[in-house]
Amino acid sequence: MLPDGTLEVENAVRAVLRDVLGLSEERAAAFRESTPLFGALPELDSLAVAGVLTELEDRLGILIEDDEVDGEMLETFGALTHFAASKALK
Amino acid sequence: MIDHYDWPGGREAMIRFGPADGPVVVAALPLFEEANRTRAFVVTILRALAARGIASALPDLPGQGESLIPTAEATLAPMRQAFASVPGDYALATRSGALLDAGERKGRWHLAPQSGADLVRELGKLRHAGAADYGGNVLSETLLAELSAAEPAPARVVRLESDPKPCDMKFPGAPPWRRAEPDNDPALAALLADDIAAWVRQCEG
Repeated sequence: MLPDGTLEVENAVRAVLRDVLGLSEERAAAFRESTPLFGALPELDSLAVAGVLTELEDRLGILIEDDEVDGEMLETFGALTHFAASKALK
Repeated sequence: MIDHYDWPGGREAMIRFGPADGPVVVAALPLFEEANRTRAFVVTILRALAARGIASALPDLPGQGESLIPTAEATLAPMRQAFASVPGDYALATRSGALLDAGERKGRWHLAPQSGADLVRELGKLRHAGAADYGGNVLSETLLAELSAAEPAPARVVRLESDPKPCDMKFPGAPPWRRAEPDNDPALAALLADDIAAWVRQCEG
């Protein structure tokens, strides 16, 4: 089922980071709006970024174009969630 | 047990699991990087099938695994022809392995099958992630063009609960083919082996 609310998108982003990066349930659950991602999570290298974005596309039924991917959208958990929500909930 | 099989273009290695008699399930790993991420997981499924009395084979296809054909020279038709040449009654394919699942079988079982167009899109993302190759693989333009048009054959389709695409059955778990560092999931492998074993027995009547 595709998500229809912001909380569902947030949960999907959390689950994708957990599944792709192999994070523990506790670590993923502790992510807050301001939690830094790219550059702060050692697991999140450029290959892992590609995996996170494609898995988000599959789970949320969205398409992310290459030119939309920048450091800003990956800076924090909140930034990635807002980006995903802007795609999934329009 | 390490064995081999012959196909019109040569000879390749395969691993066999389970009893010497009864129906045989032939498995196709996904293409490229996802093959590395899922090999241990698929072998765990095949061992679980053996424990349920069902034999299986995991072939290297030309351009994959131990094959002497370089990945850069791999094209789709020989890989499909080689897979079709592996003796067996049923096919088990994971992700883009479904695009390799050719030949006469009594039935096909696909885990989260991926269309060729989706695979090529993802490969483009890997390339964008900063390399001249595709996540460590050098691929020919011919193969990419063939993949763009490839679709899986009809099958029993099984997906994870997090996957919204249509399917016959869903199972809980995280997708091993996405893990940046390869990992295994014996609990999920056991659930899938139960489903495959029940499906084979149903097909056998």
